Amino acid sequence: MGQAEDFEETLERLTPGLRRYARALLCGAANDLADELVQTALQTTADEARHDAPGAVLDIRVDLYASLTHAAQRRLRSAAPHRPSLRQPAIMHRLADLPFEERETLLLVALEGFTYEEVARIARTDRPVALMRLMRARSALTALDRHPSPGADAGRRSGPHLRVVK
Amino acid sequence: MSPGEHVDESDLHGFVDGELDAENRRRIEDHLHNHAEDAALVEGWRRQNAALRAAFAQTVKEPLPSGLRTASVTSLTRSFGSGVNWARFSPSKGASLRAMRRSDTSRRPPRRPAIVMSLVTLLAGAVVAGAALLAFTGPASPPAAPQRVVIEPPGLLAHAQLAYQTYAQDMRPVEIGADHKAELSTWLGERVGFARLPDLSAAGLELVGGRLVPGVLAPAGLLIYRSAASGPAALYFERAGGERPPAAPPKTAPGLAAVEWRAAGFAFVLIGPLAAEVARAASESAAAQAIR
Repeated sequence: MGQAEDFEETLERLTPGLRRYARALLCGAANDLADELVQTALQTTADEARHDAPGAVLDIRVDLYASLTHAAQRRLRSAAPHRPSLRQPAIMHRLADLPFEERETLLLVALEGFTYEEVARIARTDRPVALMRLMRARSALTALDRHPSPGADAGRRSGPHLRVVK
Repeated sequence: MSPGEHVDESDLHGFVDGELDAENRRRIEDHLHNHAEDAALVEGWRRQNAALRAAFAQTVKEPLPSGLRTASVTSLTRSFGSGVNWARFSPSKGASLRAMRRSDTSRRPPRRPAIVMSLVTLLAGAVVAGAALLAFTGPASPPAAPQRVVIEPPGLLAHAQLAYQTYAQDMRPVEIGADHKAELSTWLGERVGFARLPDLSAAGLELVGGRLVPGVLAPAGLLIYRSAASGPAALYFERAGGERPPAAPPKTAPGLAAVEWRAAGFAFVLIGPLAAEVARAASESAAAQAIR
């Protein structure tokens, strides 16, 4: 009972970060879908943890992010790509230009602070592949830094002036 | 590892991401000192990281939509029934609500005392209900799966109930009938954000149609269902989020059963003069269809 309570609180504590990751994975273009994915991930992880023997959950955070990543991948495969609006900062546009695996890897490392080992587990691959994706993502973003696409440029210019008020 | 050893790009990434041990960190630091180009790369990646974090910094500060807050609770119990809120009005408090509604419909000027009185009664009722809730949940819950009693903000249920009372019995309950489902779905999808029209025929409820209604914070959708066994029922839905924590347990008017839940970022209320098991079956069916 006490352990289950802890588990629930852990999920709650991890939710804001998970939500940030979901939004970033969708390049800030579909926040509703992002929240839906977060809910799916929370539900899946909680269900899995409930079916596993107590203590079988080694790292809830890795499981949670893995579950969200796979849900997002499934959804994005069947849906039209989400493009951030022009008022979004330039970095979102550059993120949107990355392949899913590279975006996922970069965000897990840079935004969520996972180790390469954890990223490999989340992405169901090994450390060298994860590192390769990270390197590709960073060099793609750097290249885009030097030659920004017109959309990203417009986004950058309008970025500071327009703000979505919620 | 000797200080002069080759440094490749993966080492630089590892350096930025804190993957290196102290010795290797020093090795890279020395390397960067002598290789301005690599230092610029590292600096660029750090700026990227900072830009990414800045772009999404606001997200973590935003209050969590209650749909996500309850998700971790309901999911532990799997079935929607347990995350669902049952609100049924007890007879003792029925009188005060009836009084309030009377004072609402008869447009006599000195209404304030009546409202104050009914508010006082409501408050008293809330205290009684709260105490009852505590008494029931306190010792009884431990054997069950961890389950927090989710008490919804009164605003939502009150809105759903008012919408139900306004439209369900009206001559013209819906704006668009079930014969124009596509049109209705598009309209509600555009204005409310939720375009599905749950089929509740398994629970004996047949869709009559729907309309847009004012919600607590945003436009809400109201679908009216006809029942052969009882009066009409309604499914109310509004984008979840931002509601204040509830001050009192939810309550419905006498004879009305309401079930409230959250799914897919929306708050739903099924309300109508339904038998408990019908309301439960219908809301479970609607909840399942909402997230499909």
